[in-house]
Amino acid sequence: MDTTTLNLQDPYYYQQWKGLIQSEGLFIESLDDITETLGIYEGDQLIATGSYYENVLKYLAIAPDFQGGNTFNKLVSTLINELATQNIFHIFVFTKPQYQQSFKYLGFKVVAQTEYSTLLETGDYSIDQYIASLPKVSGQNISAIVMNANPFTLGHRYLIEQASKVSDYVYVFVVSQDASLFKTSERMELIKAGIKDLTNVKVVNGGQYMVSFVTFPAYFIKSRADVATYQTKLDAEVFKRIANGLHINKRFVGSEPYSPTTEIYNQSMESVLPPEVDLEILDRKAIGSDIISATKVRQAIEKEDLTTVQKYVPETTFTFIKNNLQTLLRRINDGN
Amino acid sequence: MEIKHTALAGTLESSDIQFTLSKGTGVEINLDSQVEKQFGNQIRKVITDLLKDYDITDVNVRAVDKGALDCTIKARLIAAIQRATDTQNQPNWEVLG
Repeated sequence: MDTTTLNLQDPYYYQQWKGLIQSEGLFIESLDDITETLGIYEGDQLIATGSYYENVLKYLAIAPDFQGGNTFNKLVSTLINELATQNIFHIFVFTKPQYQQSFKYLGFKVVAQTEYSTLLETGDYSIDQYIASLPKVSGQNISAIVMNANPFTLGHRYLIEQASKVSDYVYVFVVSQDASLFKTSERMELIKAGIKDLTNVKVVNGGQYMVSFVTFPAYFIKSRADVATYQTKLDAEVFKRIANGLHINKRFVGSEPYSPTTEIYNQSMESVLPPEVDLEILDRKAIGSDIISATKVRQAIEKEDLTTVQKYVPETTFTFIKNNLQTLLRRINDGN
Repeated sequence: MEIKHTALAGTLESSDIQFTLSKGTGVEINLDSQVEKQFGNQIRKVITDLLKDYDITDVNVRAVDKGALDCTIKARLIAAIQRATDTQNQPNWEVLG
């Protein structure tokens, strides 16, 4: 058996790869979310393949005659070793529940699972270490809010304020993803600066466990409409596990009247979180009938319209934007 | 010796063992093995003895065993240690001898 890198841009390899992937019932989403693909050959036949995107394994498929044996171990092992050469040791895999056991035999641990999918991880970091790294608080009412805050607006401030009033402590989990206009460190600093007066709020990094599943494998879900349900349920399960570790018993979310995805997300949370964690959906803050949103702030930044920016954000965020306007504009131009 | 960064050695194939060493406080060994009941203690002993030989007192060891023999366990752990301590080019003859 030979292991080799598959160049999917080459039609010869692409056809072989596609044949194997599809015969195993996987759906090819897009080649953009693949960093590298490995293949194992027996003679001329491609008998196994696996890919990764950053630290997530995906598109793992093995020809029927070679399943249930050492081929699977070799495939996963080769992928892990390949990532290790890039100094990536903490690795995730999303898979169907029926393959969970095979990964557990290889040292993977379950992060969360639903009836449709399982998220597992292995390596030098784990969700338990993440939970242990967070500050601990005590009280009867501990709440949580998950936000991207790209950037922190008066709307975010309102949400945190409402939670702060009715809770002993509030955890604010900041989505960690440098795909946003504002970097994770900047978003965290702006939240902290904007809520300095609220002493019962802990702003923490959401790490890789909070809504950062841009890499979610829609590929093994046939119907596109189901994707959001599968993804959000798994996400809610991950949240619930973290909530248990921190004794969080309430989660606040802002309503998103025009987004069907958010509606599905909220439904998933309703079905997964209670009774341990209550879900409270708060109406979003508006100025008159104008709902405050970070999207509007980013649009105003793009137009260099500081007057509009000032309307939606606290003084601390405004000062940052004013002082870094050129940098932000450059990021917008580079990114889009 | 000090663990400078995470390092990996070995594979998950039959008769092999995969080690991931990372920074830690004290020696912590996390062993996954299908022969844990019969050979768990023996595998742990090989690991702790070798760590002692290398004078490593603070490390997290993750080992996923697929039925490796002692000599394989040693070889893989030595490779992982030398990678994690950036000493790949300075073999420790006393330990190897």
